[in-house]
Parts: sequence; C-alpha cells; structure tokens
Amino acid sequence: MQRIAFSIPEEVLEHVFSFVHSDKDRNAISLVCKSWYEIERWCRRRIFIGNCYAVSPRMLIKRFPEVRSITLKGKPHFADFNLVPEGWGGYACTWIEAMATAYPWLEEIRLKRMVITDDSLELIAKSFKNFQVLVLSSCEGFSTDGLAAIAANCSNNSYISGTCAAVPIVLFAADFQVKIESVNLRELDLRESEVDDLSGHWLSQFPDSFTSLVSLNISCLGSEVSLSALERLLGRCPNLQSLRLNRAVPLDRLVNLIGRSPNLVELGTGTYSSEVQPDVFSDLAGVFVGCKQLKSLSGFWDAVPYYLPAVYPISSRLTSLNLSYATTESPYLVKLVSECQNLQRLWVLDYIEDSGLDALAASCKDLRELRVFPSDPFGLEPNVALTEKGLVSVSEGCPKLQSVLYFCRQMSNAALVTIARNRPNMTRFRLCIIEPRTPDYLTLEPLDAGFGAIVEHCKDLQRLSLSGLLTDRVFEYIGTYGKKLEMLSVAFAGDSDLGLHYVLSGCDNLRKLEVRDCPFGDKALLANAAKLETMRSLWMSSCAVSYGACKLLGQKMPRLNVEVIDERGPPDSRPESCPVEKLYIYRTIAGRRMDMPGFVWRMEGASGGNCQWQVQAQEASRTKKFTVAWHIQLQLWLVFELDVILFLKLVSTFCRLLA
Amino acid sequence: MSEAAMAVVKPEMKSYIWVQTVDGSIQQVEEEVAMFCPMICREILQTGMGSSKNYAISLPQRVNPAIFGLILDYCRFHQVPGRSNKERKTFDEKFIRMDTKKLCELTSAADSLQLKPLVDLTSRALARIIEGKTPEEIRETFHLPDDLTEEEKLEPLRNITDDPRIRLLNRLYARKRKELKERQKLKNVEVEEERVDERSVDDLLSFINGVDGDTKGARTNKNKKKNRRRKDNSRDPSSINANENLNKGLSALPPVCHNGAVDNVLGASTSNHSRNLTAVNFSPKLEFVDGDVDDDLDPAMKEELDREVEDFARRLNSDWPERMQEILSLGQERRLIPISMNGNGSTVAIVIGVEVIVIRSL
Repeated sequence: MQRIAFSIPEEVLEHVFSFVHSDKDRNAISLVCKSWYEIERWCRRRIFIGNCYAVSPRMLIKRFPEVRSITLKGKPHFADFNLVPEGWGGYACTWIEAMATAYPWLEEIRLKRMVITDDSLELIAKSFKNFQVLVLSSCEGFSTDGLAAIAANCSNNSYISGTCAAVPIVLFAADFQVKIESVNLRELDLRESEVDDLSGHWLSQFPDSFTSLVSLNISCLGSEVSLSALERLLGRCPNLQSLRLNRAVPLDRLVNLIGRSPNLVELGTGTYSSEVQPDVFSDLAGVFVGCKQLKSLSGFWDAVPYYLPAVYPISSRLTSLNLSYATTESPYLVKLVSECQNLQRLWVLDYIEDSGLDALAASCKDLRELRVFPSDPFGLEPNVALTEKGLVSVSEGCPKLQSVLYFCRQMSNAALVTIARNRPNMTRFRLCIIEPRTPDYLTLEPLDAGFGAIVEHCKDLQRLSLSGLLTDRVFEYIGTYGKKLEMLSVAFAGDSDLGLHYVLSGCDNLRKLEVRDCPFGDKALLANAAKLETMRSLWMSSCAVSYGACKLLGQKMPRLNVEVIDERGPPDSRPESCPVEKLYIYRTIAGRRMDMPGFVWRMEGASGGNCQWQVQAQEASRTKKFTVAWHIQLQLWLVFELDVILFLKLVSTFCRLLA
Repeated sequence: MSEAAMAVVKPEMKSYIWVQTVDGSIQQVEEEVAMFCPMICREILQTGMGSSKNYAISLPQRVNPAIFGLILDYCRFHQVPGRSNKERKTFDEKFIRMDTKKLCELTSAADSLQLKPLVDLTSRALARIIEGKTPEEIRETFHLPDDLTEEEKLEPLRNITDDPRIRLLNRLYARKRKELKERQKLKNVEVEEERVDERSVDDLLSFINGVDGDTKGARTNKNKKKNRRRKDNSRDPSSINANENLNKGLSALPPVCHNGAVDNVLGASTSNHSRNLTAVNFSPKLEFVDGDVDDDLDPAMKEELDREVEDFARRLNSDWPERMQEILSLGQERRLIPISMNGNGSTVAIVIGVEVIVIRSL
C-alpha cells in the first residue's frame, strides 16, 4: 500500500518552515523523514539548548550550519542556592570558539548559568559581523574588561584603507581610513550575573557612532559606572526601550539619564533614595510621565517613601512592578500597589504583609504573577505580618493569577486547598516555607493534602516547588495528578524511596527534577532508570543514593551522564553502599564531558564514556531491550509466583518473543 | 464556434491571454487576471507570447488545469484595485480551505508562477497544519515515508509508555486482573496485615538468578492504607491475606508464544492502568512470594490452579535462547542488573501488587 507523498519543492518547503517557530514544532518537522530533516536543518535559525552538556558544539554545527541565534544553559538550577561547588563547569568558551569559526553570521547569544571569560567576550566582539544580542543571565567568570571589548567592537565597523573618494555610507573620512558602518549591537543584558567590577569606564568604550542600542541591563554591577559616558550613550540611542541601571546610579541623576529616552518601555532605577528635594521629585515625576510607553518599573533600591508617589501619575499604565529591593514599609508599598490597577506582574518583599496583599487582591484584577520575597530569611522569628492568608486573598481576588513564588513562615492545608480551588489555572506554584519540615500550623499535620489539592485542581501546573512537612503521600498525589508537570523542586520531604518512585513513574512530562535532603535512595532511581532518558536532568543532593547504585546506573545507561559530585574525595575510597554527596544525571548524546573538575566523577561502563553515537545507540537499544526483557521477567515472576525453574522457562519464551 | 471566431465576436473588447497547461490543454485568461502572475507577465513582456492560440504561453509543469483554475480565482479577486484589506483577508481565509493535498499542489504551483502573496498565504496555511503535530501525524498528513535512522533521530527517547512491548504486557495483565477480580467476588476474605519484605535489590536478583538461600525468608507483601480518592476505582482495596502463599497462581494464560494471539488480548487500555493503579500504595520493597503451597487455599481451587500450571508448563518450550544464557551468566558474575520499571512498567509493578493481593484473597 504505497502512498504517494504530496510533493512540494524544497524551496517551497523551506518557505513553509519559516512560518514555524516553536522549537517543539521544528523538532517535529526534522523527525518526519529524511528530506524534511535535511531541509529543516539547513533553515533552522534559532537553537535552544537547555543543557550545554547534552550535545557538543561540533554536533550542533554539523547538523545546523546556518544558526543565527543560540540559547545555552549550563549549571543546574540549584546552583542559585550555592549547592553546586565552584568550578563545576558550564564553560562557554568551547562553544564560543567553535561558533566563532562556524557561524560568522551569528546574531544572538543568550547564556544562562554559564561561565564565560573576558577572552570569550573579546572573541564574540571580533568574530560575528552581524552581532546584535548578548544576554548573560546568572553568568560569571568575566569582568568589565570583557564588557569593554564588547562595547568597543559593537559597531563592527569595517575599515578600508587608502584614499576613497566615492564610498557609500561614509561616516568618517580620515586620511587613509574609511569606516563603513554595519549592523550593530541592540541588546546587552547582564541580568544577575556576577561581574568582576574593575572599573566603570567600560561604558566609554562605546564609540560615538554607536546609536543602535535598544536594551541595556547593568543592574547587577556593583560599582559606579561613568555617569557622563552613560548619559551620552543613552542620549544618542533614540531607540532605547529597556534600561536597567545599577544601584550606584543616584536618584537625582536618573532624570538626566532618561530625559532623552522617551521611548522607554522598561525602566530599572538605581538607588531610589535621596534627600528630600521637591525639585528632584517633580522632575522625576515629569520624566516618568514623559515616557509614554513606560509599562515596567524595577530597581527601587532602598526606596524611601517620599519618592514613591512620583510613580503615581503613571501607575495605571504599569503592568510590571519589581519592588523586591524596596525596603519600605507596608503602608507605602500598599498605596503604590493599589494605584496600579493594570498590574500583571508584582515582585515585592514581604514588607507588603497580608494587609497589602488584601489590597492587591482588591485592586489588581489583572494580576498574573506574584513573587513575595523574604526580607529576613535567616531570622528565627517572623519580622513581618505575612502569613498564608495573604496568598489566599490574592488567589481569591485575582482570577488570572497563574504564577506564584511565595516565601512565608506558616502554611496550612486548608489554605492550600482554598488556593487550589480558587485558582485551577495556576501553572507555576513555588511555595517556600522558610523553616524546613514545618507542619500545618493549625493541625500540626504534614502538608500533603494541601499540595495534593494544588496538583489535583491545577491541571496545567508546569512548575512546582514544595516545602514544609511532607511525607511520601504528597508524591503519590503528584505522580497521580501532575501529568503536565515539567519541573519539580523538593527539599526536606518524603519518607522513603516510594516518594521518588511516584514522581518518576507518574509525571509523564517531567523534564527537570531537583531534590535535596530527602531520604530517596537506590531502588526508586534504578527502577526508573529509563525515565531519566526522557528528562533533561535530575539533581539529588544529600539524599541516600549509594555509590554502587550510581555506578550501576552509569554502566547500564550509556545515554546518560551520571555525575557524582563529592568534595570529600574519590567515592572509590568509601564503601559502595556509602551515599554520594551530590548526584547530577542528565541525558546527553555527547558522551562524557571533558571539563570535569576533580570533585566530579562520571559513572561509566567498561566501554568508557566516549562512545561514538553508533555504539551508544546500539548499546542503548540493547540496554533498553534488555531492561524491558528484564522487567517483564521480574513482573511475571511476581505475578505468577512460579518456582524458579518454571519462571525461567516462561522468561525464555518471552525473551524469544522480544528478540 | 471555433475559438478564433469567438475571439473576434467577443463584445466587451477585452484582451485575453492564451496559456497552455502541462496536460496540453489551452485556454484563454482575461489579461488583467493573467498579468497578476509575475511569471506570465514576464513571458508576455519579454517574449510577446500569449497573444493567440498558437503562441500560448506554456505554464510550468507544476500547474495543472484544476489548480490553475484556483489560481485564477485568486488573481481575479485580488487584481481588482478597490478592495479593502478586510475584504481581501476574508476572501483569503475562505479561499485557503481545502484538503492538504490540494494545498500542497497550490503552493507548488503558485511558487512556480512566482505569485508571492499566494505562496505566502498557502505556506502559512501549511505551517498551521504542521504546528502542534507529532512527526508521525505529520507523516500521515503529507503521506511521507518514515525513513530516518535511529542515528538521525537525535530526539531523546519518548516516554517509555510508548513501548509496544510494555503495552502488550499491560494488556495481558489487564485481562488477568479482570479474571481474578471476578473470582474474588465469589469469595469473602479477611484482611490481615502482611509483613514487609526487607530484602534489598541485590538479594532479589541473586534469588532470581538461582542462588539459593533466601527461600525461607520469602514474605508476602504488605499493602497498607488503601486510600482511594478516585471515584472510578472499583477495586476492593482491603482484601489482603497474610501468610498464604499461592503457588503457581496461573489462570489460563494466553499463548505467549505467538505475538499475534497475544495481541488479541485487548484488555483495559494502558491509560486505564495508570489511572487505577497509581492510587495504590506501592511498597518500595519488592514483593516476594514464597513458592510453598498455601494451606488456606480452597482445595478445589488449588487443584484447578495446579492443572493450569501443568498445562502451561507443557506448552512452554525448553529451549534456552542466548539471551537467557546471557542473563544467567551475568548472574553468575554477580553483576547487578537494573530493574527498570518505567512509566507503565511501574504501573505493571503495581498491577502486580494488586494481582498478588487479589490472588491472596482467593
């Protein structure tokens, strides 16, 4: 029954593919058949690599020769909580070096939790003729010297020496050199990176001809930047839409800085504190009003109450407000927030208190995302009147609320159930009860039922973080109901392997699981080994997984990198049953990574880690077949309770069936 | 009337262009409509063709008469200058509704005629058809072959529940479970707590691999707290029996030797499994069953079971395939073998838990 394929010429197919954007759809296209695979790979322009060790630069370049935009993520998420030791990895240099030669037309680089050096930044600055976007999110390893290199070369000017009389687009006609301007840097975003702040003068490296800046985020920089250079830079970039300054920029200079940027959509102020000066206040308010597109405000370091009302005139325009550095007291925060009727996103410190959240619930009916951060996470006693009631209030009052990150000190099952019932449209729910293993404060019971209600009612829940006192029961709920769950973070929870087993066997869409300080051990992990190949990564630290189990897993699963992180010394020096300190497992087609530090060991089989793809594929398919056969044997044995011989005979038949 | 005569007699004094499609047939097209196609336009201007029947412009091979008709409809509408954007958009949306095959032909034809607006329109429509589909679905839609090798499929493994062998196994279990449940309904059994199995994975494996030693330690599984929150779960949770050990609790097993026959066992679907079974508390300790005969068993039932076992044993082949050798030899090397219970696999394990329970309750 031969079907005749609907024929479409290649160029036409390529044109069709140009209208398909999402990574998922592009991946689906490339798996359809040989010809589509070929066409798609040549016209893929945008690549997202969620784990930089899952694939090698060489493989990427070989398969996708015409990439223009790349996003790479390095360290596991728990690196944000200092659980990943220094020097673990996530180095961008091999990628940058490979792409510098292979993708001369690369336009965008976005890195998250990676280590990038000044040399790499220089290489970026010099290699890509059409470079436009650099986003370094939670990265480290570079200094302002690297930034200076980017700034200096951002115009990518070509120089032609000699005397040229008639040259198009002549900017400067010097004696023997003519600059020809090409496309320039649009976006430089250093969000939350750790930059070695050597000096603020790197900003002066932007040439005077550079006018194409659209987005600049330097909020993470510690030291002062040259304000005059910044002022000049902003003044000559008419297309500036997003500007996030660092804390060192004083409030009274803010007016001058943004005075000539009327197209700003997002503004992050510097320090929002100054002596009471009415003219500064009115200038500030004036400038805010003058930015007619302004929708998002952030910064507000050390915000003093006196200057907050400067925002009131534009409060109804605001859709996003980040007050997580505003250490003002509740009443002022509340007043501000209540004015912003169209707010969709609010990040705030717990100074807002329950009363503030009540006001939020009453005023901001369009709220989609709420994050409440702790002002004093290490204090033993609560310093503010923020409890679970605030969150319940918001869940009742804001029908569009779908993303929550909430730090608090007490929670109850009843509250969680109410929240779940109120907001079945919740997609991200991260609750952090500050003290580990805190029970329901009303009943002193575990919070299993509460979180169970969350996963049960919120059918589209994609991301969940648990906290409080939790038993295996909560994981049963998660495994049963969390069918759309993609990322789960667990700490100090569960009683036994059963918990982990529920999650790994029940959550069909799980991509990332990170666990710390839970009594999860070998059995659940080994029993669900195959599941790990369907996920991006699994992190387990301070759990009960033994070295022996890690070795076994590494041997049997060649398409996973099973990396043991142990700063106590080689795991070989301890008994096999000894639990490993930290375990990071991720699927990969690139084999073992070459940059593991001394405290990371990859568990591997006899064939070693550097298998060729073919060998890996064969082994994997054999292993898969093998594990399937094995588990069938086991289950049959258990079901039919045969004696061993009969069982083995039965198995042999099944094996032939499978072979 | 001959076409030449028709040309003379036309009252409106309109100009017509003659075109010839790939099948040889020649037709006239109003000039302004034809000129909307850049390719035709260029042919007219550069070569002067199209003015008469003998000098009809040959259209590209990809343009057959039916498709050309559609293209003409498109051109006829859009070449009228006075239309609003809204009108055009509405027309386009209606125009584009056709089956995928025709859409592909139309896209190719429009491309060969260099009619960019139509190419964009049809390409976008095709893109929307592709979006959201799995590769298999796309193959179905466009009648494409599945000719990629494992190597080329860099896509990571899908959820293992897709494995056909797991599905097969689950169907088996579903049927068995149904049978056993029916039997269970005839009986009234007491609930007793069972002891938990304490043995490690290693012990289990060595036991299976024929290393003696632990037979006396075999215990039955414990299943506590049958809290079912699911309304659709019809299973009776509380029937657990303590120290009985069923031997060879086989019901009529479908002939496992034949793939086809087994495939006919269409029990509950796999999704049924996940729903019904994850509600059960699964003991992390793997379940052990003693091989000894159970004294509490109804003798009649026991006899029946014995007979079934014999029957089944007879049906089994005594050949040892290589794989079995491999497994045994691995066992002798004392290498640990992983137990892989994946998505539905764990479901199966829980099935087993329930199966065991159900068996016990007999």
